[in-house]
Amino acid sequence: MNFTKSAALAAAISLCAGMAFSDTVKIGFIDPLSGPFGPTGDAGLKQFNFAADQINENGGMAGNTVEILPFDNKVNPKESLVQLQKAIDQGARFIVQGNGSSVASAIIDAVNKHNTRNPGDEVLFLNYAAVDPAFTNDRCSFWHFRFDSDADMKMEALTDWVTKNEDIKKVYLIGQDYSFGKAVAAAAERMLAEKAPDVEIVGNELHPLGKVKDFTPYIQKIISSDADAVITGNWGQDMVLLIKAAISSGSDVPYLTYYGGSLGAAVAMGEQAVGSVYQVSEVNTNLPTTDAQNALIDAYEAKYPNNNYYFHRIHMLMDMMDMAAEKSGSTDPKDIAMALEGMVVDGPYGTVTMRADNHQILQPLFVSVFSDNVQRDVENTSLGWASTDADRIEAEDTKTETTCKMERP
Amino acid sequence: MSDMATENFANLAPSNAQKFRMRVLPFVLFAAVAVLIPLFGPSRSAYSLLNAIGINIVFALSYNMLLGRAGLLSFGHAVYFGLGGYAALHAMGMIENADGGFWGSVPVFAMPLVGFAGGALAGAVIGWPSCRRAGTAFAMISLGVAELIAAMGFMFGSIFGGEEGISGDRMNGPEVFGLSLGPIGEVYWFIAFWTVLAALLIFAFTRTPLGRMSEATRDNPQRVEFVGYDPTRVRYLVFIAAGGFAGLAGGMSAVNYEIFTPEALSLLPSGFVLIMTYVGGARYFAGPVLGAIVLTYMQSNLSDFTEAWLLYLGLLFITIVMYAPNGLAGIVAGLWNGTRATGMAYLKTWAARVVAIAIAMVGVIVLVEVAVRKSNGYGEVFEPFGLHLTPGSPLTWALVIVPLIVGLGLLRHLARDEQEAGA
Repeated sequence: MNFTKSAALAAAISLCAGMAFSDTVKIGFIDPLSGPFGPTGDAGLKQFNFAADQINENGGMAGNTVEILPFDNKVNPKESLVQLQKAIDQGARFIVQGNGSSVASAIIDAVNKHNTRNPGDEVLFLNYAAVDPAFTNDRCSFWHFRFDSDADMKMEALTDWVTKNEDIKKVYLIGQDYSFGKAVAAAAERMLAEKAPDVEIVGNELHPLGKVKDFTPYIQKIISSDADAVITGNWGQDMVLLIKAAISSGSDVPYLTYYGGSLGAAVAMGEQAVGSVYQVSEVNTNLPTTDAQNALIDAYEAKYPNNNYYFHRIHMLMDMMDMAAEKSGSTDPKDIAMALEGMVVDGPYGTVTMRADNHQILQPLFVSVFSDNVQRDVENTSLGWASTDADRIEAEDTKTETTCKMERP
Repeated sequence: MSDMATENFANLAPSNAQKFRMRVLPFVLFAAVAVLIPLFGPSRSAYSLLNAIGINIVFALSYNMLLGRAGLLSFGHAVYFGLGGYAALHAMGMIENADGGFWGSVPVFAMPLVGFAGGALAGAVIGWPSCRRAGTAFAMISLGVAELIAAMGFMFGSIFGGEEGISGDRMNGPEVFGLSLGPIGEVYWFIAFWTVLAALLIFAFTRTPLGRMSEATRDNPQRVEFVGYDPTRVRYLVFIAAGGFAGLAGGMSAVNYEIFTPEALSLLPSGFVLIMTYVGGARYFAGPVLGAIVLTYMQSNLSDFTEAWLLYLGLLFITIVMYAPNGLAGIVAGLWNGTRATGMAYLKTWAARVVAIAIAMVGVIVLVEVAVRKSNGYGEVFEPFGLHLTPGSPLTWALVIVPLIVGLGLLRHLARDEQEAGA
C-alpha cells in the first residue's frame, strides 16, 4: 500500500535525521507566513533568523547550532496544532509564536498536554507577542514564558497618557474580535474608570479579525462620536488598514496603539499622521542606547532593507534562552525553563527581568509618537518613532499582581 | 425463449465467490492493512498523517452518499462535520467536568457516536427545506446554509468559541480496550476502529432498500414516483444519514485534534471534501477512500515541498474532471479491466501515457516553481538537481517548453492511435 511504504520511509528518514543533527537546537517558529498577516509573521521570522545567526557566529547555544524551523499557521488555532505536531516530529523542542492570542492559547494547551503525555520529551513554548493577560494569570503554565509585556501592562501606559492629557474627555475603543481585542477593551474600561473617572468611553467596537478590507465605516462612527482619542490593539493588516482609513477620512485625533509600528503602517500613515499616532512598545530605534545595539540595528537593517528593527523582544528572547543554556549547561527544555525563571539581564534599553512567579517579562516600556524629526526612519519614509525621557516607564513600574499558581514539574 | 431469459437472469446474480470477492474481501483487506500498519513502527508524523487520512476517509465516504449515490451536489458538507465535531467536543467537556453521573460513565472512545447524533440532527433540520429540490437548487441552498452557519460560528461564542474555538481533553472518563488515548499511537487504534466500522456501515447502507432507492432517485426521480416512492423523502433520509456519518468523522477529528474552530464549518473544508471525493472517483465505493488517502497526503506533505501546492491540487482536479471523470478509482479499474481484456498491449499504451504525462509535468513544475519564486520577490532561485533556473535563463524556458510540447504531443499521438484502433 502506498501509505505503509511512505510511513516506513518517514520513520526511516526521521531516524536518520535524528542522528545526523543531534547537535542542533531546533526552534519551531509557528506564525502566519501567508495571507493577511503574512508580512507580520515574516518580519518576526527574519528577526529570529538574524538572532539565531548571531548566536551561531558567537559559538552557538552552549556549543550547539541553533536552527529556526518556520511553520505557517494562517493564524488558525487548529492549523497551529497540526503545525505544532509537525514541529515536534521534526525535532523542535522549543516553540516560538506571537501573532494571535487565540493561537497562543491553543499552543499552551497542547504543549501542556504533550508534556504530561510524553514525559522526558518535553517542549517549551516561548511566546514573543501574544499578550492576553490570562496566560500569565489564571492559565499560567510552567512551559510558557512571555517575552512581551501583556495587554494590561501596555494599557497602564496608554491610560496614564490619557490621564495626563487634560483635554481628552472622550475615548473610543476599537479592536479585533477575539480574546486579545476583548482583553484590551476590558483593560481600557477598567483602568480609565479607575484613573480618570471623568473620561467617557464613547464607543467600544470589535471587528472581525483580519477580514475587514475597508475601515471607513468604522472611522465615520469614530468621527461622529466626537472622540478626543482612539485606543486600539490592532496589529498587522488590521492596524495598517485602520490607520489608512483614518488618515484618508481626516480623523486627526490621537490614535493610541499597541502596534502602530506594524510593517506597512508607516507608509499608510505618511506625513499626516505625524504627532497623532502613538505606540507603546519595548523599543523604538531612536532611543539612546549602546554602540553595540546601534551596530546590531544597522546590521539588521542592512541585511533586510525592506524591514525595520521592530521586534527587539525577539533578540531578548534568543539572548535569554542562550544565557539560560550557558547557565544550566544544557539545552533540555526543562533545564532552560528552570534557568529562565527569575533571570535578570542588563539589556541595551535597561534591566529586563523574567518573573519566576508567572513567567512574565518585566522590561521598560516607551510611549513613542510618530515623528518627522528622527535619526532612524522606518520603511524608508524619513518618518519614525520618537520619545522623550518622560515617556519611559521603568520595568519595575509595569509589574502587575498575578493570580498565577505555578505548578512546577 | 422464455426459458433462456430466465436462465440469463439467474446468471446475472453474483455467485457466492463473486460476492465474497466484491463485498467481503476488500473490507477484510482494509481492516488487515489498518491492523498491520503499527507493526512497521511508524513515526509520530506518520501517525498524525494516518489519523488525518482515517478522518478524511469517513468524511469523504459520507459525502459520496450524497454526491455519488444520491446525485446531490452539496457545497456545505463540512457543516455536518463541524457540528458533529462541536457536539463531540462539548460532550468531552462534560466528561471532563463530570462528577459521576451519566457523563462520568461515557468513554471518550464513543465520541464519534455523539458526533453522529449531532451531524444527523443538523442534517434533519437543515435537510428538511433543502431536500425538496435536487440539482442546482439543492447545490445553491447548501452553499447558502454553509455560509450562514460559518458566519454564525463567529457570533455565538459559547457554542463555537469564537476565533479561539473550543478545546477539550481526550484523557478523561473511562477507558475502552485499555486505550488511554494519550499518545498518538493509541489514538491511531481509535481512528482505525471507527474508520473501518464507518466504512462498513456506509457500505451496508448502500445495500439497504433506502440506499438502492437513493440511486434510483439520482437516475430518474419521476420513475421512482411512479413506483410509489417519494423522492423528496428518499433524499431527506439519505441526507440525514450522510450528515450523521460526516458528524461521526467530526467526532473522530474532535478526539484527534482536541480542538474545533469555526473555520471547520466554512466553505474551505466543504470544497476539500468535494475535491477528495471527485478526484478519488464518485462512481466507485472505494473512490473516496482513494481520494482521501491521496489528497490528505498531498495536503500535509506537498505543502512542505512547494508553496504552490494548491495550484497543483487545482490542476489535478481540473485534469480529473476533464479527462478522467471516474477519478483515480476509475483509472485503476480501467487499468485492471483493460489489462484483463487485451493483455500486455493495453498495459503498454497505459505506461506510455504515464510517461507522456510525466514529461509534460516536468514543464509545468518548472514553470510554476520559477513563477512562484519570481512573484515572491526574495530573489530565491529554483534549483532542482543542482540546476540554476532563473526566470531569464534560456535553459529555464527550454525546460518549460520542450517537455510540454513533447509530453502533450505524445499524449495526442497516443489518443489518435487509440481512436484508430477503436475504429
